[in-house]
Amino acid sequence: MDSPRAILHLDMDAFYASVEQRDDPALRGRPVIVGGHPKRGVVLAASYQVRPFGVRSAMPMARALRLAPDAVVVPPRFTAYAEASEQVFAIFERYTPLVEPLSLDEAFLDVSGSRSLFGLPGALASRIRAEVAREVGLPCSAGIAAVKFVAKVASDLAKPDGQREVPVAETQAFLAPLPVARLWGVGPKLEATLFALGLRTVGDVARASPEFLFEQLGDMGRHLAALARGEDDRPVVPDRQAKSIGAEDTFAEDTASPEVLQRALHAQALRVGRRLRRAGLRARTVQLKVKLSDFTLFTRRRTLESATDDGQRLYREAVKLLVRLRLSSAVRLTGVSAQELVGDRSQLGLFAEPEARTDRLNAALDAIAARYGQGAVTPADVASLEADTEEDEARRRVGGARFDVPPDR
Amino acid sequence: MEFRIAADELKRALYRAQGIVERKTTMPILSNVLITATKTAVQVTAFDLDVGVVSEHFAEVTKQGSITVSARTLFDIVQNVPEQQLTIRKLPNHYAEILSGTAHFKIVGMSPDEYPKLPREDDAPSVTVSGEVLLEMIRKTSFAISSDETRYILNGVFFEPHPTEKVRMVATDGHRLALVERSMPGDFKLKGGVIIPRKGLLELKRLLEEAPDAECHLGFAMNSALFKKKGLTMVMRLIDGQFPEYQRVIPKEGDRKVQLNRVRFLEALRRTALLSVDKSNAVKLTLTENQLRLTSQNPDLGEAKDDLDVAFNGAEITIGFNARYLSDVLSSLDDDEVVLELGDEHSPGVLHAPGDRSYTAVVMPMRV
Repeated sequence: MDSPRAILHLDMDAFYASVEQRDDPALRGRPVIVGGHPKRGVVLAASYQVRPFGVRSAMPMARALRLAPDAVVVPPRFTAYAEASEQVFAIFERYTPLVEPLSLDEAFLDVSGSRSLFGLPGALASRIRAEVAREVGLPCSAGIAAVKFVAKVASDLAKPDGQREVPVAETQAFLAPLPVARLWGVGPKLEATLFALGLRTVGDVARASPEFLFEQLGDMGRHLAALARGEDDRPVVPDRQAKSIGAEDTFAEDTASPEVLQRALHAQALRVGRRLRRAGLRARTVQLKVKLSDFTLFTRRRTLESATDDGQRLYREAVKLLVRLRLSSAVRLTGVSAQELVGDRSQLGLFAEPEARTDRLNAALDAIAARYGQGAVTPADVASLEADTEEDEARRRVGGARFDVPPDR
Repeated sequence: MEFRIAADELKRALYRAQGIVERKTTMPILSNVLITATKTAVQVTAFDLDVGVVSEHFAEVTKQGSITVSARTLFDIVQNVPEQQLTIRKLPNHYAEILSGTAHFKIVGMSPDEYPKLPREDDAPSVTVSGEVLLEMIRKTSFAISSDETRYILNGVFFEPHPTEKVRMVATDGHRLALVERSMPGDFKLKGGVIIPRKGLLELKRLLEEAPDAECHLGFAMNSALFKKKGLTMVMRLIDGQFPEYQRVIPKEGDRKVQLNRVRFLEALRRTALLSVDKSNAVKLTLTENQLRLTSQNPDLGEAKDDLDVAFNGAEITIGFNARYLSDVLSSLDDDEVVLELGDEHSPGVLHAPGDRSYTAVVMPMRV
């Protein structure tokens, strides 16, 4: 048998809230909620000081504020989060090229091949966390295991600002007491089915006969039986090998405003463009994802004339798709993803490439961003999104800094 | 409708139809053939709205009329009938009956009125052409047609008559280009050129291969091409659009020019490409004094090297190519020797027979 893999799951703690606390000392140690309008919005992130009150992300703001009336509410600054995220991922990439981003603040790292260079995975995780804390000023937690699923559960249990390693021999014992909902693929419906079968913990599933599970649940039964025994052979797939690269965000409050939706898509498309370029890939297809307030999900795809790694072009295509959706109700989340990725840029073309100018522009922008940070050059609409929120922020945090806003605290 | 026909005769028509009819289609009738019995003959039509073939076959017709049935089903039946002859008869409700010896089939059909009409281009100006020349031109260009459906302009071969009684055919996928010019006297009455789509061209190639020496007629009208030979008519819808300005990308004469044995070069490329990275087929060519070295390396597999003797004493160069782009050209050349011309490492390589640029291929390099 091959020697076990070493997988790290690294997850930033209360990411948005931690960035706010880092940037504003007055917020440190206080219950902070990053979110939208107190009546209409949702919680995007909750600092650890506010979690004992029961506040969780995705919860309606109104409910969160009933639970924690003294919490400080901060509107989101997506550009700041994107920038912090890029810095954190740059640290991850020092140790392995096998980094699979799950979102802005979460990634799997396969460090099996890094052992001889950087030592044991546990020590490596401490080192990465220390560098993130020192260089970016943010806390994160790590799970260390031989498979993805176990690493993710471990990082969750290590939070906040901790790490947990689960050696192969201890995997089953580690998983056994956990509730079945921890298993990847188990939602409320499947959980109820499992309860009805008398399976409440992961250990129960591990002890059940695989034949019985297969009989009751089909392929899902087989999948759960494997996970419960700590078997999960999914590889860590870095962007450069990924089938798609996407970015999505939940709005602080649901919105139907075309300008707000377009600005969000613009920021997301630019993020995707940067990731494509960093991975040396181009996309043939753009997909728009829109989730409405009632959780109805729309995805729309469009295949391009030629593959691209230009965020502006992805944005234009995403907006066309958005317009064609003719949305009338409020939107909770938008996302842009690049699909049908092609990596071979080594073959030269016979005819003049129409994108040569944008290629040069993007190369210049990437170089500026690498030196002065992502915020150094920002498209005006995305910048105005930030300016708006910064204004809001100034109003709420400082209170009275502007003559038209009465002090509130 | 009722007629009696030799199974082999019908099989030939239905075999041709298989390449044309659509198997996965939202219009079920497009996977059918239309069979029409006239006084003395039977016509078999296959048409996918872009390419259509109508062929005439000798048959003993007892009752005229037409049916349309699944091309695949009928082909399977005709291949398996026990006797050399078979009878096809139309039954009510568009059923068709097939009888041969002891065997009896009754298959579902559709109304022949619903079968799409082929464009009628009877009065199109047409030119008598040599099947052999046309076949050679298709063979020398069709490999370079783009299969990228988003670049539909490149999904065919550019057919361009020249006033000097010559015709040029050009195909490119944006990375390589193949151009062939052959004598084809006659006036096609075309302004500029037309783009013949891949599917029609490959069907035409198959038809020509059946009997390359037969007399053929080729003509163009509106947005279709019309090909005729004895007992057979083919129509193809042309690709509507502007073919790129291909002349611009064909370099004049390269700074570096070597002559190689075609087969030895081809074999060396195939060997060396075995160890290229993934499916890139990337092979490095290094030209030094009197030597062309081919190399490839793959971090997971290893490396390969092969040397060819050449007469060369110019400036050294190392340039990367997709080996398949070169070997496609080498396989379609007939001469024993081939000339490879190179500029710098970012300029296209040019391949042609010694002293003959009537067939020229241009291949863009890869960054290595």
